[in-house]
Amino acid sequence: MGSTDAAQLVSAPDDALAAIDACFDNGWTDGLPVVPPERSRVEAMLAMEGRPPETVIAAHPTTGLECSILGAAANAVMAGCLPEYFPVVVAALEAASETPYNYHGSAASTGGSCQMLIVSGPVVQDIGMNAAGNVFGPGNRANATIGRAMRLVLLNVFRMTPGIADQSTQGHPGKHTMCIAERSERNPWMPLHEEFGYGPDISSVTVYAGAGFCNVENHGGNTPESILDSVADSMANLGCITAGESVVVLSPEHAEIVASTGWSKADAREYLFEQARQPVAEMQRVMKFVPREYEHQGREDMHRGYSADDILITVAGGDAGGHSAFIPSWSRGRGSLMQTKPIGVCIDC
Amino acid sequence: MIQMVDPAGTGGGQKRSMAPRLAELSRLKVGLLSNGKANADALLHETAAHFEQGLGCSVTQLLDKLNASRPAPPDFLAELAAESDFLITAVGD
Repeated sequence: MGSTDAAQLVSAPDDALAAIDACFDNGWTDGLPVVPPERSRVEAMLAMEGRPPETVIAAHPTTGLECSILGAAANAVMAGCLPEYFPVVVAALEAASETPYNYHGSAASTGGSCQMLIVSGPVVQDIGMNAAGNVFGPGNRANATIGRAMRLVLLNVFRMTPGIADQSTQGHPGKHTMCIAERSERNPWMPLHEEFGYGPDISSVTVYAGAGFCNVENHGGNTPESILDSVADSMANLGCITAGESVVVLSPEHAEIVASTGWSKADAREYLFEQARQPVAEMQRVMKFVPREYEHQGREDMHRGYSADDILITVAGGDAGGHSAFIPSWSRGRGSLMQTKPIGVCIDC
Repeated sequence: MIQMVDPAGTGGGQKRSMAPRLAELSRLKVGLLSNGKANADALLHETAAHFEQGLGCSVTQLLDKLNASRPAPPDFLAELAAESDFLITAVGD
């Protein structure tokens, strides 16, 4: 028996360009050309996974549709993944399937969030991910295709079709792909995968329903406060502030400044939570005040998130440049909570 | 020819389907399920009023599913199903 025996097979011309066109004709793409999911390529992907191809690794809470390892493999091929990337895709799908992530709401909402992935640990080097310059940008196959595989699963397995099930008002480019790696050698603090409780040899992937990207520029700041105040101001501007989670990706230069005087990551998180706030009167003035969220915080001002624990800080980017990033959570708050899974570790088998 | 793997995988088609159409609506009990966003209750009551006035239906209750972006909790649906002949749900914002 072959590993694709359970698959529905579709014939296409034995010609690469014609097969790409057939994928368009079948409605299988995200608008860009895909690698045709030819059977032997899907089988090579499946060879990276120890469980049977029909094993369900993610489920859609509203439609009941399920993503099997086979479905994930076909979409990973189409995204352009190499087989060695597949364990990251599988772990990311398993993370997104956890109830608090809210697979349906985060993909269907007018909020238009992406499935941002943050990969931490030795797998970053093992599969050649980019954690340095242009970490959010083009140029690295693993980053680009792992993130894209997540979107193709949403489209082809869970039928979150734009304009039908996906009602994003605007969406954003990260919905095509948004996968970054943590830059361990320039990270002054404990790496994320260890922070999440995994050993030094176990990598992790975090999935986060992220709204649009906010670049935080500060080339002049040379104290922790000057850098983090810039980040906090982005987190708390009237367009972005909600009670939701935050992802802050500090550039190596900014991270070095913050850590240089002995600040721990916990210190930085606490500082950001304290500074990322708006007076209640301002929230009321723009008609964004939500009493139940404010009451939950129990603070004088309205802060971003419920506590410092709602802020994930990681380090990525090139050696030069005072550019960090803040990625707000999807839409109005806490509809989705980020989830993390170990990569290549089967808990059930 | 080459063989491509359908990217839907082994999951098959939609696992949930529409309820069968009701043959008759008059004098039935109507349940209301709100997504919890602003104005959903107003929209639901306004809609239900048409069924009450035009068809003699009666509204049993309105439940707010508390989180707009998640499926309604199963116990909410069970409660509404037990008390209603049909359900109206609406998205407010």
